Amino acid sequence: MQSQQPHKAVISGALPLKSHLPGYVWGILAPLACTLIDWPLRHWLGPASILMTYLLGVFLVASRYGRGASIVASLLSAPVFAFYFARPIFSFAIHDLENIIGLVVMIVVANVTGSLLEKSKIQAELAAQREALASALYRLSHDLSTAQDHDTVAQIAVKHIHDEFGVASMLLNIDAENHLQMPSYLALPGVDLASAQRIFENRTAKQDNNFGYYPLKGSRAWQGILIIQAAQPFPWQGSELSAFIDTFCHLIAQTLERLQFAAQAKEATLQAESEALRNALLSSISHDLRTPLTRIIGAAGTLIESDSDLSVAERQDFNHIVLDEAQRMSELTGKLLDMARLSSGEINLHPDWNAIEEIVGSALNRLDKHLKDRPVRTVLPDSLPLLWIDGVLMEQVLVNLIENAVKYSPAGSPIDIGGLAREGSCRLSVADYGPGIAKGQELKIFDKFYRGIAESEQSGVGLGLALCKAIVEAHGGLIQAGNRAGKGAEFVIELPLRDPPQFAEPEITGSLS
Amino acid sequence: MAKTDPVIIVIEDDPSIRRFLRTSLGTHGFSVFEADTGKQAIVEVGVRKPDLVILDLGLPDMDGVEVIKAIRGWSAVPIIILSARSSEQQKIDALDVGADDYLTKPFGFGELLARMRVALRHSIRPQEPSQSDIFITANLKVDLINRVVSVDEQEIHLTPIQYRLLAILVKHAGKVMTHQQILKEVWGPSYQENAHYLRIYMSQLRQKLETDPTQPKFLLTESGVGYRLKIW
Repeated sequence: MQSQQPHKAVISGALPLKSHLPGYVWGILAPLACTLIDWPLRHWLGPASILMTYLLGVFLVASRYGRGASIVASLLSAPVFAFYFARPIFSFAIHDLENIIGLVVMIVVANVTGSLLEKSKIQAELAAQREALASALYRLSHDLSTAQDHDTVAQIAVKHIHDEFGVASMLLNIDAENHLQMPSYLALPGVDLASAQRIFENRTAKQDNNFGYYPLKGSRAWQGILIIQAAQPFPWQGSELSAFIDTFCHLIAQTLERLQFAAQAKEATLQAESEALRNALLSSISHDLRTPLTRIIGAAGTLIESDSDLSVAERQDFNHIVLDEAQRMSELTGKLLDMARLSSGEINLHPDWNAIEEIVGSALNRLDKHLKDRPVRTVLPDSLPLLWIDGVLMEQVLVNLIENAVKYSPAGSPIDIGGLAREGSCRLSVADYGPGIAKGQELKIFDKFYRGIAESEQSGVGLGLALCKAIVEAHGGLIQAGNRAGKGAEFVIELPLRDPPQFAEPEITGSLS
Repeated sequence: MAKTDPVIIVIEDDPSIRRFLRTSLGTHGFSVFEADTGKQAIVEVGVRKPDLVILDLGLPDMDGVEVIKAIRGWSAVPIIILSARSSEQQKIDALDVGADDYLTKPFGFGELLARMRVALRHSIRPQEPSQSDIFITANLKVDLINRVVSVDEQEIHLTPIQYRLLAILVKHAGKVMTHQQILKEVWGPSYQENAHYLRIYMSQLRQKLETDPTQPKFLLTESGVGYRLKIW
């Protein structure tokens, strides 16, 4: 919660004018008081001592009220002393050189002390103001350091400028073409985007029609413009505060630039990753696509060259090789294409309400051929809620997991598929009765191009599980691999549950458990 | 007998696929004509009056969906589309403008023949409003006149909506129906956004008609596209 009350605005062009009246009153009273004290003692004290008491009075006034009051006190002390205490008494004339020197010293002391004091006071006030400015800057930079996007930066900047200066403001960010963008909220009424753009392009701060325009310059590029609304003339113009506002702007610009750099760095990492993927892809393609191709070319070549020498059974055999290997390549290229799409960071989910049972069903249907000798046991309670997922991609996840289970468990062994709704999430599992996942491989198997078993034994590019991970994570879910005690490998997917869709028809409730 | 051979037009820009289709379909008793552009295809369909059209959606000169629209302007000839993988939306668009079925490349010839048989059967016996039909496949029997559904001779009680959903799939048995098409026919045009209705009712239907709802025999899901009632 932000405090509604802005703390005391720091802004003030000059130091506040304090009332000097009490100082002058004391400047008049001090010599009179000295006179009253000294008068009864005039027979015992010499003129020099009496002069010292006046000096003391002047000094006290100077130390308390500064130069003006002390000069009043000293100038009043001189005639009073001359009249009452310096011979001839009751006359303003002074005969003794000693007393004249004394009075001159007094006036000089009053002057010097007063001005010294005034200076130190001004210094102290300046220091206090600087401290306030510094802490304002600190607060700003502290808040800005947590900002993660341009909008937050704009909000923080506007809030701080309001708190510190008591004025309204607005931050305009730039788009990729260096055009200023009006914020969707917190917009100042009366700001003209075109003139802001002109000032931004001139790169110099400008005051115009109750608005102060401050282009924000980062260390490399201009980041936007800050517009402050205040009545003319701007109270901070030319003063120390003007530099302060520059620092403010600088901080904001730096933060915006930091965000920009962070975005660029992220992009660069993504690019590097996809570059690495491409390289791995190329080396993988050379092996995994060439193997079936070699077989196809071999078989087809034999069919053409030695057609007459082959028996019907042999021909059939070669034909099957061509078909099987081509289908294998087709599946492989499909996966490669999916992975390329997904790793380009542009996963286009087309989510909709989907029944898990249906997705499991169509995955099993797609794998019909692979599952001929494998009993598949599905345990999916009727009460499973609909999930807000991309049905096509989630089917791909299940297909990959089931294929994986088929590949890495003995022929004829069953495959278990389970589903379970929990608080806020839905759990899906695919488990086999194979040797399980080797210790320490539970995370690695989700890496791209990683294969658990030496490549000659199993076909595939090691993309299936990486695809699963990418898809599940794009849904805000989680996928984990582990072993079931004494059984085999188990892959568990956790998908977040959304509030179920509403049904307008009464019929639906009657038929649902 | 050649006169009675069903006439097929293959619209495909790749010559080897055209050749493979021409040869294979020729040996199965079809007379095959070819077109390699959308414009030529529309002309061919108009001139040849084919019994079935096989259309590749990725034509060089025009969008396959536009070709379907043009043909549907004056002909109800069955159209089977060939499309690339992972372009569900394209398939849906083509089906919604009137294509009868689709095959994803690469496809097997057996699959194509099965789809063609279904499409041809539907065009020979167009759905009449009277629907004087009893639909039987494997152990599923749907009596569309008396509105009686039975599995293994056991009558299954369905709610009106469940029945309507099943009846629509039966009417188009063997063909894929998009989510939108089903929603529109069962619930009406204002329910196009309510895909979740379809999921729930389909799940209920499977529970009532299928031995194992997770491994359905009849009510197949065409993921991302729609549903198909399989004929055994």
